[in-house]
Amino acid sequence: MAIVLNELDSKFKYEVAEEPGGENLKRCFACGICTASCPVSDIDSEYNPRKIIHMVLLGMKKEVLSSNLLWLCTQCYTCQEHCPQNVKFSDVVKALRNMAVREGYVHPSFAERVREIDVFSQKLRHRMVLSVVDKKAEEIKVDLAKLAEEAVGKEKVEI
Amino acid sequence: MWSEPRIGVYICHCGSNIANTVDVEQVARFARSLDCVVVARDYSFMCSDPGQELIKKDISDFQLNRVVVASCSPTMHEPTFRRVCQEAGINPYLFEMANIREHCSWVTENKQEATEKAKDLVSAAVNRVYYHQPLALKEAPINPDTLIVGGGIAGIQAALEIADSEHKVYLVERTPSVGGHMSQLDKTFPTLDCSSCILTPKMTLVGSHPYIELMTYSEVEEVSGFIGNFKVKVRKKARYIDEDKCTGCGLCQEKCPAKTDSEFEAGMGKRKAVYTPFPQAVPNTPVIDREHCVYFLKGKCRLCEKVCEAQAIDFEQVDEFVELEVGSIIVATGYSLSDPSDIYQYGYKKLDNVLTSLEFERMVSSFGPTDGDIKLKDGSVPQSVAIIHCVGSRDKNYHEYCSRVCCMYALKYSHLIKEKIDAEVYQMYIDMRCFGKGYEEFYKRISDEGVNFIRGKPSRVTDRAITEEEKGKLIVVTEDTLLGRLIRVPVDMVILCPAMEPQADAEAVSRMFNINRGADGFFMERHPKLDPVATTTDGVFVVGCCQGPKDIPDTVAQASAAASRVLAMISKGKTEIEAATAVIDERNCSGCQFCKLICPYSAISFDEEKEVCQVNETLCKGCGTCVGACPSDAISLSHFTNEQILAQMEGLLV
Repeated sequence: MAIVLNELDSKFKYEVAEEPGGENLKRCFACGICTASCPVSDIDSEYNPRKIIHMVLLGMKKEVLSSNLLWLCTQCYTCQEHCPQNVKFSDVVKALRNMAVREGYVHPSFAERVREIDVFSQKLRHRMVLSVVDKKAEEIKVDLAKLAEEAVGKEKVEI
Repeated sequence: MWSEPRIGVYICHCGSNIANTVDVEQVARFARSLDCVVVARDYSFMCSDPGQELIKKDISDFQLNRVVVASCSPTMHEPTFRRVCQEAGINPYLFEMANIREHCSWVTENKQEATEKAKDLVSAAVNRVYYHQPLALKEAPINPDTLIVGGGIAGIQAALEIADSEHKVYLVERTPSVGGHMSQLDKTFPTLDCSSCILTPKMTLVGSHPYIELMTYSEVEEVSGFIGNFKVKVRKKARYIDEDKCTGCGLCQEKCPAKTDSEFEAGMGKRKAVYTPFPQAVPNTPVIDREHCVYFLKGKCRLCEKVCEAQAIDFEQVDEFVELEVGSIIVATGYSLSDPSDIYQYGYKKLDNVLTSLEFERMVSSFGPTDGDIKLKDGSVPQSVAIIHCVGSRDKNYHEYCSRVCCMYALKYSHLIKEKIDAEVYQMYIDMRCFGKGYEEFYKRISDEGVNFIRGKPSRVTDRAITEEEKGKLIVVTEDTLLGRLIRVPVDMVILCPAMEPQADAEAVSRMFNINRGADGFFMERHPKLDPVATTTDGVFVVGCCQGPKDIPDTVAQASAAASRVLAMISKGKTEIEAATAVIDERNCSGCQFCKLICPYSAISFDEEKEVCQVNETLCKGCGTCVGACPSDAISLSHFTNEQILAQMEGLLV
């Protein structure tokens, strides 16, 4: 079914641009390098940063803020690092999540749950790195790529 | 003779540019209330013919002796209105311009505030013009000789056009041959004519033209003087080969034992220590490269000397300095191609068969290192090639600007690949920009040939295969943004289209010729639309890629434009010089010479006898630096006197 443009909220992009990190959002020229470099998109083709930005720019507020996809971002900042237009997509995601909670698109308990998972995964990440570092402490030369490889425990990691 | 000022004030609507934000009628009414203002009007376009006539008629009807126009920036129309005054019999310096467009209507949203600001600016201008003094216009003769710096297609074109009118041109080129980047190219878009075929005749002409003195392997070291009268010092680097004796037989190059990477072949091929960069080089006289010559490195060899029948080798040569006097200078120093190895994710210099555009250009050239064969490092023929656009261009992390030629040469590569080896070609683009004459037609032609267009900026080029089919290939990972799907494209060869950058020494060159640079580092033209080849230094012009990335047609057009500007100057024979210059009151000058030290135009000299400083009025640009610096308050700037500036400020504030 076609999207009817005048039913959308054309002010949405300005609202998001007002949020911290949202300032360069309107510069996006849809090159797709965010999606191409995104580890989540690699696994789940439904999740597409470029599309989310485009939906924000078109004013698809309801669809964006109520979408489950918003919560898939791992905040790895790869997209932000590569973006040729300095669109800070990781920060935009944070802004959109905040808006979704603030404006009642998700239940506060959901946000609380996400926060708990985030804290837990940070701890896990911390512990994981520490355990590898401890094990290797006696070796003077630390090969970061190798460490990361062990931490992730699968294919060779690109540095 | 002093007569009571009778001022006419003209408020321009500039169509809707000013009138939509400023209540122009109210400003005109306000102007009428100011002291000495005899007449004040508003009009839709003051710069138009009827607008100019209006001022002239008023000058005669009301015996005006001062004029104020409130409109756009003086850089736009001050010369226009000064001329109007002059034609109506008033000294052009009895005119003042109030900028109520750039400084007011374009930057103010509120109509009332804009109107008030416009009134302030008009009142300031009226106050100032009251104190204006008539100044005498000065003229300087133009030396009809021209210096052109850079022997690429831009310099060559400009040199030929000027020399064909039988005026002397000095063409200085840093490398051993003219030709520039264009000589490295194989075919040229959109017509696909061979670059050498259209360039070589021009190179030969430049080498033999009776009005061109070609100085290759030479660099400009110093520039002084001013429009019409520049003095230039050129270093002619020692070639260690007598140009008069050398027959260009090439035997020395054949026998020379020392090899190094060829700059001309973009590192794809080798050259000897004694070399001409390429077979069609002009002049066809080799140079000995000290850094790689066995004799210079180890003290013995001189094999070239032994084989040279003409006895042209001369190891005793030293750099020569030549002093030139010229009237105008054309800077055509070109660009350099950026090194994409910083953009690590595309694997340049880490993965085999990832090439830059210039490397591919040499590979595909029939007189290049592979004799025009497109092949991989192992010698086999690629089955598929990916071309990645915008590598370092349109990217905040590298260069924000578009390099303007990549879309088109990428299309050209598609054609050459299809024609020579019929491989699959994938174009990874963000936007196809085919803007020039015949370019869209070329795009269509290449599309018809069956090229794959993938809209998306790749995130990486990797050799790590995840399927059997990908093994041994380079995999370009990108989002096809039109499908909304991530795709992996396994190919045999990747061609990157790196950004065109200013030359590494652009900063030093800009200082030597006193040219401004833009935020992107390229040389700045005086006005992007209306004065595209002049610079803020009169008599110095910029053409070609040193001014910004551009293709050959645009470069040639610019070169012709600069040549015509130079010829116009030569044909007039003299130039008007800004009358607003610094004046030193010798009675107050203590002779400290601080002004001489800081003058950016070297316009101040010290009179040893009188022990005072003096201003050369033809060199002085009226910048006022010396006025501010003089500890004895001995320097004033005509047309910017304290009286005039204070009156202007008073007009703004009261």
